[in-house]
Amino acid sequence: MGIPTVSIVGTAFMKQAALVSKGIGVPFAIAEYPGAPMVDSDDELRRKVDVHLMPAIIAGLTRKTGQAAAPVDVEPAPDSVVFSGTLDAVEKYFHDQLWSDGLPVIPPTRARVDAFLRFTTRDRNAVIAVLPQEGREASILSIAVNGVMAGCKPEYMPVLIAIIEAIADPHFRIEDSGSTPAWEPLIIVSGPIAQELDLNFGAGLMRAGRQANTSLGRFLRMYLRNICGYRISPGDGDKGSIGYTFNVAMAENEAWARDIGWPTFGMDMGYAQEDNVVTVQSVVCISPPTYSSGAEATGHLQQFVDVIGRTFSYWAYSGLKRGCWHSLIVIGPSIATAIAGECSKDDVRRYLWEKATIPAEMMQRFARQTGGLELDFQQLVSDGYISADYIASNDPQRQVRIFANPQDIGIVVAGDPGRNQSRGYMANHEQGARTSHRIELPPDWNAMRRAARK
Amino acid sequence: MKNLQDQMNENQPEPQFSVLWPLAKRSIKTQGAAAGLPDFSGKTVCELWDYIFRGDVMYAVIRERLTALYPGIKFIGYKEFGNIHGPKQRDIIAGLADKLRELKCDAVISGIGA
Repeated sequence: MGIPTVSIVGTAFMKQAALVSKGIGVPFAIAEYPGAPMVDSDDELRRKVDVHLMPAIIAGLTRKTGQAAAPVDVEPAPDSVVFSGTLDAVEKYFHDQLWSDGLPVIPPTRARVDAFLRFTTRDRNAVIAVLPQEGREASILSIAVNGVMAGCKPEYMPVLIAIIEAIADPHFRIEDSGSTPAWEPLIIVSGPIAQELDLNFGAGLMRAGRQANTSLGRFLRMYLRNICGYRISPGDGDKGSIGYTFNVAMAENEAWARDIGWPTFGMDMGYAQEDNVVTVQSVVCISPPTYSSGAEATGHLQQFVDVIGRTFSYWAYSGLKRGCWHSLIVIGPSIATAIAGECSKDDVRRYLWEKATIPAEMMQRFARQTGGLELDFQQLVSDGYISADYIASNDPQRQVRIFANPQDIGIVVAGDPGRNQSRGYMANHEQGARTSHRIELPPDWNAMRRAARK
Repeated sequence: MKNLQDQMNENQPEPQFSVLWPLAKRSIKTQGAAAGLPDFSGKTVCELWDYIFRGDVMYAVIRERLTALYPGIKFIGYKEFGNIHGPKQRDIIAGLADKLRELKCDAVISGIGA
């Protein structure tokens, strides 16, 4: 547009700003704010504006010549061999290049990669999308290479492609994957393929240990590092302040869900029960294991409110102000049976939506503490993100709902059928919004899968 | 004492692996940044804010300082554009170029990345 622009960036985000600048091919003029503005006093903040920001803003807006774009790095061609050596040498090389996740990788030899590519009819050079923040092509080949590295089996390839198609959907907002809350994507595999690939949906389903669950989850984290560039130090792109490790992929006990008369999670996402589907959503916090007892639904539902709802309360303001928050509850099969005797899944959602509340003043305080944000309920009602109930009175102690929309609460039936435990998975507002994609199988899927087992 | 690698090599040669590049081609159209203006007197500066990290305090100070330096400088505040990192982010960004033209914007200050 030809309009000079300067961006204000905190010191800790300078490397990420440089990475984003390179990824979109436009140089930024930057005014650096030293330190963290959220913990500076008002006087210190004003001093830093005077001493540090003002000179940089004036310099950025008055420079005589426009800054040239940074040259694009010369890199290897896709499909090229970049290294040859022993297993140890390969591991060291990949670690040194920041192409690994800190664990040993399976060397992505051409033979191994080709084995993956046989499980798709798509051309190896086909591109699903160009992904932020390094502006790299999400090619079928890159999916296969990273799938090999993560320890996947070749027959997982159709699932791997669907995962990347889901995160490439603009609805998912992959561009926010490096944000400071450090959310992790969670993969949920629905349909017959979950059993065909031996995904665990029973006891310990979210532990590392079952190859399909574990390697699918690892693959996605590795893809975010290698193709998107979200790397923790000594990389630059991931600004997660503390973070936690990747989620293994989840699957549902679909037969149990059907037996108790509930639609499966895949059906809730708009698909038929025989459809194979991948859903990906962010998870930024997991509730405590939530035990509940009794043959009546209410005891279980109130326990969800008291344990899972309270865990989620702190972050609820972020969902309300963004108009999007996909909470997920994994209900133990035996508990689901007790609830289903009286309630539909929609009844469960409605109960949680109605009963999970906190004082309005507390929600506003949480918002202020996090980013200096004034949570304006009136404005959110005017914008249509929340209902008028939130401003029914001016009493700061009035109870306000933490879930804006009951339909955004996902329910998966899984876990140990012999125990009475459930668990909540909290999303990071609209970042990593719940997104599904159908899995495309090759025409001779069953024969190929059987052959792969031998 | 021999290390593990040497001991293994004595017994049998280790297999060699030729490995493919695990990244992918960048698809970027580069462009340079606009040149600045020598003097902002009488010019219009637009503010873009993500409504977080105390930008309200920062922009107030910046406005005051630039006004003292450049007589007649005008500001179009962040409220005119809305939260550039809020629920309407995509719509705001999609319409930003037209809006900046419409407002006859001469320069932009954007923040806060923190």
